[in-house]
Amino acid sequence: MRVLKLALLAGLSALAIGWGVAASTPYWFAPKQDRKVDIADPELIARGEYLARAGDCVACHTAPGGAPYAGGLGLQTPLGTIYATNITPDPETGIGSYDYGDFERAVRKGLRPDGVHLYPAMPFASYKVVSDADTEAMYAYFMSAVKPVAKQNQPTTIPWPASLRWPLAWWQLLFAQPRDFEAPQSDDPLVARGAYLVEGLAHCGACHTPRGLAYEEKALKEDGSGRFLSGSVLEGWYAKNLRNEDTGLVTWTEEELVTFLRTGRNKRTAAFGSMSDVVEHSLQYLGDDDLTAIARYLKSLPPRPGREQWRPKEDVTTAALRGGDFSAPGAMTYIEHCTACHRLDGKGAPEVYPALAGNSMVFADDPSSLIQVTLAGGRMPSTPGHSMAFTMPGFAHLSNADLAELMTFIRNGWGNHASAVTEADIARMRKEIAHKPVHYAPEAAQ
Amino acid sequence: MRKSFLIAGVALIAMAGSAAGWVATRAVPDAPPAASFAVLDAEKNEVGRYVVPADKDIFAQPNADEIIYGKRLLADTARLLPDNVGAAMNCNSCHLLDGKIDAANGYINTVNFYPRVMPRAGKEVDLETRINGCFQRSMNGRPLDREGREMKAMIAYMEWLRQGVAKEHRVDIVNAGPVDESLIPDPDNGKAIYAQKCAACHGVNGEGMRDQFGDIIFPPLWGDESFNIGAGLARTYKAAQFVKWAMPPAMHLDGQLGQGGVLTDQEAVDVSEYFTHMPRPDFAPKVNDWPNGNKPKDARY
Repeated sequence: MRVLKLALLAGLSALAIGWGVAASTPYWFAPKQDRKVDIADPELIARGEYLARAGDCVACHTAPGGAPYAGGLGLQTPLGTIYATNITPDPETGIGSYDYGDFERAVRKGLRPDGVHLYPAMPFASYKVVSDADTEAMYAYFMSAVKPVAKQNQPTTIPWPASLRWPLAWWQLLFAQPRDFEAPQSDDPLVARGAYLVEGLAHCGACHTPRGLAYEEKALKEDGSGRFLSGSVLEGWYAKNLRNEDTGLVTWTEEELVTFLRTGRNKRTAAFGSMSDVVEHSLQYLGDDDLTAIARYLKSLPPRPGREQWRPKEDVTTAALRGGDFSAPGAMTYIEHCTACHRLDGKGAPEVYPALAGNSMVFADDPSSLIQVTLAGGRMPSTPGHSMAFTMPGFAHLSNADLAELMTFIRNGWGNHASAVTEADIARMRKEIAHKPVHYAPEAAQ
Repeated sequence: MRKSFLIAGVALIAMAGSAAGWVATRAVPDAPPAASFAVLDAEKNEVGRYVVPADKDIFAQPNADEIIYGKRLLADTARLLPDNVGAAMNCNSCHLLDGKIDAANGYINTVNFYPRVMPRAGKEVDLETRINGCFQRSMNGRPLDREGREMKAMIAYMEWLRQGVAKEHRVDIVNAGPVDESLIPDPDNGKAIYAQKCAACHGVNGEGMRDQFGDIIFPPLWGDESFNIGAGLARTYKAAQFVKWAMPPAMHLDGQLGQGGVLTDQEAVDVSEYFTHMPRPDFAPKVNDWPNGNKPKDARY
């Protein structure tokens, strides 16, 4: 009995200390900066707008059909849905009452003015490397040029006690330590600029770097382990490996990469899912120099160490299909539903229909994106460079058995090779798609 | 002590049992029931349902090889029948997705529709004659041997696609949706729409797009390799019906090709007036068309 009492006491003390440390981080771990910013400076505002584009703030902080930056987009987590907040300068419901210190602390340190810790869905761990000058410019833009919208934030659906926010302080202590940007060793200034954008504002790692058990990105920068930007799954989309290796970007030229970032398509592939939004809301607005910098930096990331490199096998599919041999499992389903666009040679039509042959999204270790885009369809981003944004219709009307066989065929056709897709994989994705969060946009309904 | 073990054991078994039951009853999500079309009799009463068959069902047919050959000829006509096809066109350039979808010139009712008296020919036309009409007009080429293997294979595919619907019945689909034919075309606006919404695939100069083998991905819409003046698609309003309901593909997240529904009637008429009236091959036997009069107002000769 005495032991039990002691254990209870120890547990309560640990909890109290844990809470105490968490509650005090605003004073020692994430102190508020005292700095004045001229929010009326038009040059600063313009630069801030460009940087806010680079940071793609609008993508998460805008609900479909909703006012820009007024929040409401739902993000799925295993525990529930988190809704992005209103970051328009409305003083009551948005960030209109923030001074620069409040803004800086939210963006780079993940802390609200009332001391509440932000969920790491906000990529403050990446934004930590954003310079003071860039943060100030964004503050000027948000305060002076974004239209204020009165819209209350939507509470998360995460149940108590997981909904308690103070334990997030411990997450920040463990995974979001203060750090400054360190340029990679390179003679090329564009590589350094690319690293600054990729690690920081563009927060590519939020989707493309695998996450650990605590939802932390396993690497926030290139650290020699090969984990940074090596591909990850989020909301049922596999954000592909961006390293300069086999299943990554090794076959892409810098020019192809720039074209893709600017337009969401190139001769070999097309963006869909979340990447389509990234191009539409963010990357298409970046200058050629910054897009080239991003591409050059990504091409500088070495292959993951100690991993066998993927090589295409011989293409026997093209000759078989052109010769009328549809006997391979899945081939007839491909002929029926896919050839009209993706063609017998799996090459699609440049800048219209993506190729399947040699497309690393297709033979990625993780087939999530292939499965989701096939079930639910996808749409290219709309950019000024192309008057038509093409879609792929969804094929949820095909059976799990047919889809599994079909995707296994595609993943292993035309020189591709990858693991089989199973009926259970398809069923799992159907569930995931059925349980996507309801995007909250009350002002759209009014 | 022993009693509590017993209770714990029973509870464990009960929990395991209900968990297993829960897993077993939880439905595995799969495809919804297949979509179907009504089968109508001559008085338009529904007499059954038609489900578009999956191509893999062809393997179970006694004449599977013939059906598959026919299917390939319809899809890859220019490559497989170079002596008969003069244009850079395939049957499926107009008969989208192997003739399996509504409002895109399907093959589903084709076998049951012929023979029939057709106004353009002014006499009864059978299916072989109709198919050869396509070869000579839309594909600007030469007719197939009526009794040849190729003709029989194409018809075998259409016969399989009919799925046993009785001759006097028809599946409730249309070749093309309606377009208001009273609209006056504006070819200048049509030219602008072409540049905006068609050129990405059919080329800035209507030249179409070809793959690495030189085969057609998107057919040319005018010029020497396009359909000739005798094709139905050379007529403004007939083309507009196709353009409105079947073009462009890949526009929506649903529908088998995500096709159509982008242009208004007026826009479809404008763009159709523009591209159909661009230079294209002549059709010498045009003098025999509409021998009994009743020539449609958008006929080209």
